[in-house]
Amino acid sequence: MISGLVQVLLFQGLGELVTHFLLPLIPGPVIGLILLLGFLALRRSVNASLDEMASTFSQHFGLLFVPAAVGVAMFWPHLKTHAVAVAAALVVSVVLTIAVAALVAKALSPRE
Amino acid sequence: MNRDFPAVHEIWVYLSGSPLLALILTLGAYQIGVIAYDRANRHPLANPVLIAIVLVAATITLIDMPYPKYFEGAQFVHFLLGTATVSLAVPIYKGLSAMRGRIVPLLAALIAGGVTSIASAVGIARLLGAGADAAIVGGFVAKSVTAPIAMGIAERIGVSPTLTAVFAVSTGILGAVLARFVLDAVRIREWWQRGFAIGVAAHGLGTSRAFSVNAEAGAYSSLAMGLHGVLGAVLIPLGARILGF
Repeated sequence: MISGLVQVLLFQGLGELVTHFLLPLIPGPVIGLILLLGFLALRRSVNASLDEMASTFSQHFGLLFVPAAVGVAMFWPHLKTHAVAVAAALVVSVVLTIAVAALVAKALSPRE
Repeated sequence: MNRDFPAVHEIWVYLSGSPLLALILTLGAYQIGVIAYDRANRHPLANPVLIAIVLVAATITLIDMPYPKYFEGAQFVHFLLGTATVSLAVPIYKGLSAMRGRIVPLLAALIAGGVTSIASAVGIARLLGAGADAAIVGGFVAKSVTAPIAMGIAERIGVSPTLTAVFAVSTGILGAVLARFVLDAVRIREWWQRGFAIGVAAHGLGTSRAFSVNAEAGAYSSLAMGLHGVLGAVLIPLGARILGF
């Protein structure tokens, strides 16, 4: 597991370097993800330690959003009069987005 | 008898002076959320992240701890978000061979979903009278993109990164909670289609929900999140310039 963590941190660091010097708009972790994906595609395998690390992270991905999301919850009262309209817009929009994306994917899929 | 007890307020001062209190609070609240989620058979309404957010927000309000003080300790958890994002390469890589024949439906779903996300939010806000507030409308533009990229896009097109982040995270939670009902209503049964749709609409928090339901859905959701982030970072500023935002 530790060797998996080291690998992930190395790619995160690489991603940060690329962001800093070459592609300022795309955050380091996304570049790191793309680089790691390229590395795995070249090696054609995932080592056990990396696999274990990744599945631990993906199981508890939600936990890592908590600190930022608490700030979001504290921010909502600042929206005041607009809070209801904004909440309605967000709810309807996310419902429509999920439905449209899923229906388009289904409509264009080859019959299986 | 009181003399046998340590002065509680002194411990309190010590605890709040270190990251420990915020970390215990964050992890403890999440643990309670996970237990409740499992007890409820992973029902989407018992979303563990939502429960943790409510518990932490209520607690820090109750003990009068300012949010920046809480975040000072909780930043160690927050930092790992980047590391976890990088590690999503693994489930994506594992699903890659199955994805090859699905590139067309996936890209089409992503673009259709991305356009729907922006157009519907802006349209409804206008309808309900919040459309005149340019700051709010601007905050909607990148809300379905994962928060760190969304904030970068916001800065680039000159809208508030704070509002963008608030709308992005709120969208993620809403998507995680509502996705199952929407997908059942429109009769989507394939896990890859369900997962991809969640990732397009509700990025990281949706992906977290998808992983807890099905591994294939989780892999496709993280793929959608990554693609939406990268394409959004390129196309949204371009579209904003063409439409004259």
